Amino acid sequence: MWGRSPILRGLATIILFLTLEVVSILFIANDSVFQRVKIGGALMYFKSGVSSATSNVRYYFGLKETNEVLLSENQRLREQLSIYKTKAEMADTLEGFSSVTPDFTYIPAKIISNSTNKLNNFIIINRGRKHGVQKDMGVISPEGVVGVVSSVSDNYSYIISFLNINQSVSARIEPSGAFGPLVWEGRSSDYATLTEVPYHIRVSVGDTVFTSGFSTLYPPNVPLGTIRRSTIIMGSHHNFQVRLFQNFNSLRYVSVVVNNKKNELNQFLKENEAKR
Amino acid sequence: MKLRGNILMSFVAVLLVQIMLSGLVDFGPLVFIAIYPLFIFTLPINTPVNGLLLWAFAMGLAVDYFTNSIMGLNSSASLVMALLQPQIFKAVSRKGDLENQIRPGLAQLGYAKFALYALILLTIHHIFFSMAESLGFTHFIYNLPRLFVSIAANTLLIILVEYSLFYKLMR
Repeated sequence: MWGRSPILRGLATIILFLTLEVVSILFIANDSVFQRVKIGGALMYFKSGVSSATSNVRYYFGLKETNEVLLSENQRLREQLSIYKTKAEMADTLEGFSSVTPDFTYIPAKIISNSTNKLNNFIIINRGRKHGVQKDMGVISPEGVVGVVSSVSDNYSYIISFLNINQSVSARIEPSGAFGPLVWEGRSSDYATLTEVPYHIRVSVGDTVFTSGFSTLYPPNVPLGTIRRSTIIMGSHHNFQVRLFQNFNSLRYVSVVVNNKKNELNQFLKENEAKR
Repeated sequence: MKLRGNILMSFVAVLLVQIMLSGLVDFGPLVFIAIYPLFIFTLPINTPVNGLLLWAFAMGLAVDYFTNSIMGLNSSASLVMALLQPQIFKAVSRKGDLENQIRPGLAQLGYAKFALYALILLTIHHIFFSMAESLGFTHFIYNLPRLFVSIAANTLLIILVEYSLFYKLMR
């Protein structure tokens, strides 16, 4: 009976189709469960082996570029160090200065898997719960923002890349101080768009964009890119095309940002919200 | 039984090609690589639609898992494609063009028909893929260039893969 009647067979097909389609859509909606499966599963060891073998080749050919990046970062850090040294000498007499914990500390990590050719890109790094990584931590590199930790297993973390149409970073344009969300539009991995900057603010091409530090994810003043072009939307605000410093294709080492004041800040916010 | 073995082999082969192409070669975000529909639309013609749906679901999930994309993205698009596949095949092929049990590949259909068949199914797949990706119609116009470029690139790639992997085996 089951195979004979074309109506019943058609009905069965439609039901099967709808069931599978609903399952798929539920999967899309609950992706965080699968992120945990992807980095926690037994396949991960195999996967990390394979991808490290393939990325070693790319790593070798990108060594020159990596060297230059490290060199410039060294230079920058040395300059900063000298500034802090002089500050510390001045503040030496102040009591308790040495006991101050820094706002941000960093966990260095290596990228195991990365993609730049989708609208929703994800990164897997080789640091996890054991090393102190937690959900909702920011990830940066010397050249800019990389993404946000989305789920964590013992040894690996799953990161929503900045190259993801659902991501945004609070950014600030340097000389003028204007700020707005920086989003990736899904066209090219080299460009992002800084939106919602009021029309009256004067910005020139080539101005540098930094993180604003308004979120607890990223430290302030991480360089992101330079302004390349501006368009006026609805006569009320600018949209700037920003050329990113970050080259996601050759990205290899990143740092997970640990915000030491995050809990305190969230607690504070919660208390104030309760009062209202 | 032998046919089932062939299906499994081509499942693995197409999956491997898909993983390698989307993992090792970077075409930029304007092109998304989807080779795996090749497996679904070259399943034997006498496969029941339910079978097509199950294979498409399995393939979509496998691609989602291994290429590290959002789970369910590829499977939802390939399900729609599998559902419409028999109708498209009937429209493209002439009556009595093929006997039962035969794989509708390049060797059996010829270049023009195979390209047309692939193009129509890929268009369906890509439209639903980009809708699932941005969850609805809102970015549809904005995604159009990406859609067209991807359809063109994937049709070409699928014909190349079909030619290099399966064409000579089947002749």
